[in-house]
Amino acid sequence: MNTIAEDVPAGMIAADAAKSNRLSWFATLRFRLILSVALVHAVLMGAFIWDAVTEQSDSIRAELQNRGHALSSLMAVATTNALLAEDLASLAEVIDRTQRQPDVSYAEVIDAEGNVLASTDPSRVGRRVTPRIQKSETMPLAPNDGVLDLRENIQVAGRDVGAVFVGMSTKNLHQALAATRDEGLLFILIALVVGSLAAWALSFATTRNLHAMTNAVRRITDGDLDVRVNIQSRDEVGLLARAFNAMVGSLQRTSRQVRLEHEKRTEAERLACVGELSASIAHEIRNPLSAIINSVQLMTRDNVPEADRRELAGIMTAESNRLQNILNDFLTFSRIPESKLAETDLCPLLRDTVLLLSNDPALPKSVKIQTRIHADECRARIDSDQMRQVFMNLILNGIQAMPDGGNLTVEVQPRGERLSVRVADTGRGIPDDMLDKVTRPFITGRKDGTGLGLSIVQRILMQHGTKLTIVSHKDVGTEVSFELESA
Amino acid sequence: MRPRSLQAALALCLLLFAAAAFAQAPRDYYRLGVLPLQSPTKLAAMFMPLADDLAKTLGRPVQFVTAPSFAAYMQRVQKREYDIIYLNPLLYTEARKYGYRAIAKVAQEPFTGILVVRKDGPIQRLDPKHLPDGLRIGFPDPNAFAATVMTRQYMRSLGIDVSKKFHIHYFRSQDSALMALYSGLVDITGTWRPSLRSMPGYVRAKLRIVAETPPQPQMPIAVRAGLPRPDVKRITDLLLRLGHGERGHAILKALGFEDGFVRATDAEYLGVRQ
Repeated sequence: MNTIAEDVPAGMIAADAAKSNRLSWFATLRFRLILSVALVHAVLMGAFIWDAVTEQSDSIRAELQNRGHALSSLMAVATTNALLAEDLASLAEVIDRTQRQPDVSYAEVIDAEGNVLASTDPSRVGRRVTPRIQKSETMPLAPNDGVLDLRENIQVAGRDVGAVFVGMSTKNLHQALAATRDEGLLFILIALVVGSLAAWALSFATTRNLHAMTNAVRRITDGDLDVRVNIQSRDEVGLLARAFNAMVGSLQRTSRQVRLEHEKRTEAERLACVGELSASIAHEIRNPLSAIINSVQLMTRDNVPEADRRELAGIMTAESNRLQNILNDFLTFSRIPESKLAETDLCPLLRDTVLLLSNDPALPKSVKIQTRIHADECRARIDSDQMRQVFMNLILNGIQAMPDGGNLTVEVQPRGERLSVRVADTGRGIPDDMLDKVTRPFITGRKDGTGLGLSIVQRILMQHGTKLTIVSHKDVGTEVSFELESA
Repeated sequence: MRPRSLQAALALCLLLFAAAAFAQAPRDYYRLGVLPLQSPTKLAAMFMPLADDLAKTLGRPVQFVTAPSFAAYMQRVQKREYDIIYLNPLLYTEARKYGYRAIAKVAQEPFTGILVVRKDGPIQRLDPKHLPDGLRIGFPDPNAFAATVMTRQYMRSLGIDVSKKFHIHYFRSQDSALMALYSGLVDITGTWRPSLRSMPGYVRAKLRIVAETPPQPQMPIAVRAGLPRPDVKRITDLLLRLGHGERGHAILKALGFEDGFVRATDAEYLGVRQ
């Protein structure tokens, strides 16, 4: 398989580069830095807060339990004499003072026989009861048990003379635990916000200079080599900016030299082209001109029969027409105007061109033309007249490549944001040694061709920001295609 | 009504309700009521071994109890809240009116009151002529028979008018009165020998007996009328037998009554008067 492709125009590269520079926010350094810092804060602070909350919760529980034990022990000491003396007033005073202590849910003193001598529940005083608990509870309590029940036996001379019962409410404990947990969550949130803001500020300071450099690169891509970045920071970005400016300066000097070289070479090529073109024109018009001159000389003889004279006149007419065609094609090639691009549906244009050529009586019966348009609309920014010329030339080339008949396929297919136009024939193909020359002027494989058709196509397509791609297989056929940006 | 007043009113109601509840509740155990001669814990340590042994003998629990004051104790005696009582001879004469009868008494030294002073105190001898004015005297309770009643009678017999000669202070218990003397809060204290013996050695070392009253019948143990006769007999037998066994000796040692108990009759106390 043989292919050729022209160099991609600079404008297209710039457009592609601009597209590739448009990052999604999630792919930016700023987002990644913020995400990293937020994650680190969330994980570390979460672990720290969890540990602190657990420790504080244990501490709060232990504090409540210790306070309860201390209170019940103190009560046991404080009530011993009053219990033995059945001094109910003193016991009531102790119970009253105990009840005023924080978190005390109930308090009670019973004697050795189970008589309630004092209680925060007046209805129990004087009753003989079964002890509330046999031994003190420990933390953690069972679910739904909101009171830590504690018991302290009152002993005298190694004998139990009574017992003190104290219930410590866990309501405040749960509130304290909830407050601790909420505080922890608040700290995590604050850490997240502060960390994210710090990360944002850091990333902003870093990427702001990078954005300036990115914008400078875009301007350079658009051809502005006078651009410089003004970054005064003394960090790595500052070093990069100075290196960047030095690189742009070097690039500008190199570009200037290249442009000068290019101008010189273009001038040389232009002169060479003029010479080559002059030689080609001279070559192309010499044969018909010689035939005309010879015919005129023969006709001036006296003894030329009438039949020969008419034949010579026919030759002169044919060669004159050939000369006229050559000159018309050359004029067309040399006078291709600037394209006037406008948003146009090129599918009707293509159908009209195919219809026109299909109805041409000169079209061999053995050539079948197929049109495949895989879209309802094929809108693109084109110059309609020039694009009609492109379609005409490509289809005629295909038809002329199949003197013994064949199939010609014209196809339009959307490819993303572009339209692909393809013209394929089943002709004899293009020889390998000519494949990279067929778009040059006056290069043709046909004896009656001027060699300007594909040159005209290539020039028009270049003015549309695209290029012609040719794929050819010997004795199988040739496929020419190009792409246009959808409107 | 202010909150404090309301609380006090509620506490009083509660107290009255509780007292009524105790008085009326039927019991399946006996109550051993001991006159608050000393601190409740000290009394408990003394009498609980005896209560335990009584419980074993009677086949039902015996609860040791005392009272906040002599007056409160006698109120409960009056309400017959105690089944077995230990008290002084004078108060026993009151308790008799409410149906209590003596079954045994302490069998040791004569029941006397003593007057104790600090060795380095201002009183060295109980001579009305040499007693300076403005002295302070301590008693456990106005109704403490040996410590207060007997010692005041004795000083009156010596020509000392306690009310005029001394500033009187009551300390609710024998121990408190002795500790007040040791601490210098008073210059002389009325008490009895068992309490002085129960004081720590370093306290006793600083004190000395300056006078002792003539003897009276010893401290009795009495039972409430209505107690089942077999139980009364078991209690009496136990008390009289305490000096015979190892366990009994341990109980007596705890009580501080090394010689145990002897039988007592109601008639012995008829001559006791304030």
